Amino acid sequence: MDITLIVDFFPKLISYLHITLLILVAAVAIGLVIGVVIALIRIYKVPGFNQLALIYISFMRGTPILIQLFLIYFGLPTLLALVHIDVSRANPLLFVAITYGLSCGASFAEIIRGAVNGVEKGQTEAAYSIGMNEKQMMVRIILPQALVMAFPNFANSVIGSLKDTSLAFTIGVMDMVGRGNTLIASSLHALEVYITLSIIYYGVVICLEKGFSLSEKKLQRFEGSLAVDTK
Amino acid sequence: MQIDIPFIFTALTEIFKALPLTMIITLVPLMIGFLIGIGITLIRIRKVKGIYRLANFYVSFLRGTPALMHIMLIYLGLPLLIDKMAETFHWSIQSTSIPILLFVLMALSLTAGAYMSEIIRAGILAVDQGQLEAAESIGMTGFQAMRRIVFPQAIAISLPNLCNIFIGFLHTSSIAFIVSQKELTGAANIVASNNLKFLEAYIAAALIYWGLTIISEKVTALLEKRVTVYNRGGVA
Amino acid sequence: MIQLRNIQKSFGNQLVLKGIDLTVNKGEVVSILGPSGSGKTTLLRCINFLERPNEGQVIVDDFKVNSKQANKKEILTLRKKTAMVFQQYNLFKHKTVIENVMEGLIIVQKQPKETARKLAMEVIEKVGLTEKANAYPVQLSGGQQQRVGIARALALNPEVILLDEPTSALDPELVFEVLEVIKRIADEGITMIIVTHEVSFAKDVSDYIVFMDQGEVVEEGIPTVIFNNPKEERTKRFFKRINREEDNLESNLTNAI
Repeated sequence: MDITLIVDFFPKLISYLHITLLILVAAVAIGLVIGVVIALIRIYKVPGFNQLALIYISFMRGTPILIQLFLIYFGLPTLLALVHIDVSRANPLLFVAITYGLSCGASFAEIIRGAVNGVEKGQTEAAYSIGMNEKQMMVRIILPQALVMAFPNFANSVIGSLKDTSLAFTIGVMDMVGRGNTLIASSLHALEVYITLSIIYYGVVICLEKGFSLSEKKLQRFEGSLAVDTK
Repeated sequence: MQIDIPFIFTALTEIFKALPLTMIITLVPLMIGFLIGIGITLIRIRKVKGIYRLANFYVSFLRGTPALMHIMLIYLGLPLLIDKMAETFHWSIQSTSIPILLFVLMALSLTAGAYMSEIIRAGILAVDQGQLEAAESIGMTGFQAMRRIVFPQAIAISLPNLCNIFIGFLHTSSIAFIVSQKELTGAANIVASNNLKFLEAYIAAALIYWGLTIISEKVTALLEKRVTVYNRGGVA
Repeated sequence: MIQLRNIQKSFGNQLVLKGIDLTVNKGEVVSILGPSGSGKTTLLRCINFLERPNEGQVIVDDFKVNSKQANKKEILTLRKKTAMVFQQYNLFKHKTVIENVMEGLIIVQKQPKETARKLAMEVIEKVGLTEKANAYPVQLSGGQQQRVGIARALALNPEVILLDEPTSALDPELVFEVLEVIKRIADEGITMIIVTHEVSFAKDVSDYIVFMDQGEVVEEGIPTVIFNNPKEERTKRFFKRINREEDNLESNLTNAI
C-alpha cells in the first residue's frame, strides 16, 4: 500500500463529489414531492390511491436499492418505448435520480405520516375550538409541528441515501465511485482508491450530521429542554 | 422490446436457488455483529478508558461510510496484510486461497457490529432506570441485573429495530454481487446476461426480496405480540 | 344565549348523555359539577361539536345546529361563536404566546395583523403575561400556559367560553392564579360554561350550578340553593363526600404541622 497515492487520488476523486451530491439533491427533491403526496394520500386514506401507495411503499421498503436501480435502468426504457419515447441513450444520471427519488419518496412518506400521527390530539382540538377548518388546521398547526418532529428521521434518511449513491456506478454513472473505478483501471491501486473514497464519504457524512443537528436545534426551539425561561 | 412474462417464472426458480447464500451473507454478519455490538455497547456505556474513544470512532466511521466501502476495504486490504504477515512469519497461507465470501462476511460483520451497537444501546437506555435499581435492591450484582432484568427487556424493546436491521442487511447483501458472489442479485445478473433478458431477471429478484421482506415483517409482528405480553397493560 | 336541547351521546353501546337540556343567558357563568364519569366533559365538548351529539340541538346566539344534519360549514360557524379552554391547555406548541393568541384572530377572523397584535397584547395583559408574550409554551409553567389558553379564547370575543376542568392538570400551588384570572373575566360579564372539580370556586364564581350524574342533570339552580339546600339524594351525597375530603385534607395538613 502506498499512502502517497491517497494524497494523489484525493483531489482527483473529490472533483467528482459534486456529481454524488447532485444525485443526492435530486433524489431528496423528488423524494420530498412524492413523500408529501403519498403521506397525504395515506393520512386521508384516499380510496384506491391508498392501496397503490401501500404497495409502492411496501415494494420500495422490500427490495434492495441495487435491484431498484436495475429495474429502472432496464425497465423505464421498455415502459417509455410503449409510448414511443426513446430514453435508451439518456444519461444514466437520469435513471439514478429517478430511482433514488422514488426510494426517498417512500421513506419520506412514512416519516411524514408517522410524525403527523404523532402530533397530539389536543392540538387538533384546539385548532377546531378556535374555528379553524380542516385545511387551516393541517397547514398551520399539524404540518409545521410534524415536519419538525420528522426532521431527525428525515436527516437519517438523507444520510442513508448519500451512502446508497455509492452504488450508482453499477449502471455506469461517473460519480466519485465511477471515477474511482477508472483510476483503478489506470493505476491498479484499488485499495488506495477505496481508502480515499471512504475518507471522502465519511467527511461528507460528518458534515451533513453536523449541519442537520444544528438546524434541528434551531427548528426545535419550541420543543423544550433548551433554555427553559426561569424569569 | 417486450416483457417476457413466462421467463420471469423461469428466472424466479433459477435465482431462488441462490437464496441460501443470501441468507448466509445476511445472517452470519448479523450474528457476529450482535456480539460485536454488545461488546461495543458495554464499552460505551461503561466508558472504558482508552478503548472508549476507539469504540466511538468505529461506530461513527462504519455508520458514516457505505457498506460497499467496507467490503472493498476488507476484500482489497486484508489479503495484502495477510500476505505480508505470511511473508514475515513464514506462514504457509496465501490470501488467494481464502474464498472471497469470507472477506465479505468479515466486512459486513463489522458493518453490522456498528449498527447493532446503536440498536442495543438504544434498547438498554430505553429500559426504565427503576428496573436496574429494583434488581440491585433485591441484591443482584450489576452483571446479574444486566443479564436477567435489563437485557431481556431491552431486546423486547429493540425488536422492531432488529427487524429493520435484518431487512436492511438482507438488502445490503445484494452488494456482494459486486465482488462476484452468486447470491440472489449475482444469480439474477447471471440469468440476465445469459439470456439477455435483464428486466425479467431483475423483476424476479425483486419479487424474491420483496417476499422475504414481507415474511420477516409478519414474523416480527408475531414475535412482538408474544414478547410484549407484559407490556400490554390493563387487565387481561 | 346558549341553549342545549335534548343532547344525547353514546360511545359504542354506552349512553353517556341521556338527553340534556340547558339554557345559559348572556353574561352568565354556569358551572357543571358532578362525579367523574358523569358525562360533564362530554356535554361541554358537544357544545362545540368536538364530540358530535347523536341527538339534539345546540343553539348559540340564535344559530341553531341539529346534531344529525349538521354539515361542516354549520359546525365551523358554531365553533367561530365559541371558544374552549382545555384541561391540558393545548397551546400550539410551535407558536409563541402572542402567536397563539393571534392565530385565531388572523386565520379565522381574518383581522389585519396589526389589529390582531394590538388586541392580543391587551388580552395577554389581562391575564398578566405581558412579559412572556414572546415565550414558547414549553418555557411556561402550567399555570401560565393555562392563562394563555384563557387569553386565546378570550381574544376571539366568543359568545361563550367553554372551560373544561381548567385547573385539574395543575400543581396545587398554581391553581389559584388561574382561578383568579377566570374570576376576573367572569366579573367582566363574559358568558362561560365551566366544568370543574373546584366546588368552592364554583360556589364563588357561578350564577348558576348544574349537577350531573350518570349522564343526566340531577339538579340545577342558583348556587345558594344548590349548595345550602340540595333536594336530591345524589347531590347531597356528592357534596358530603367533597366536604369530607376537604376536611380530611385540612386535618392531614394540621397533623402534618
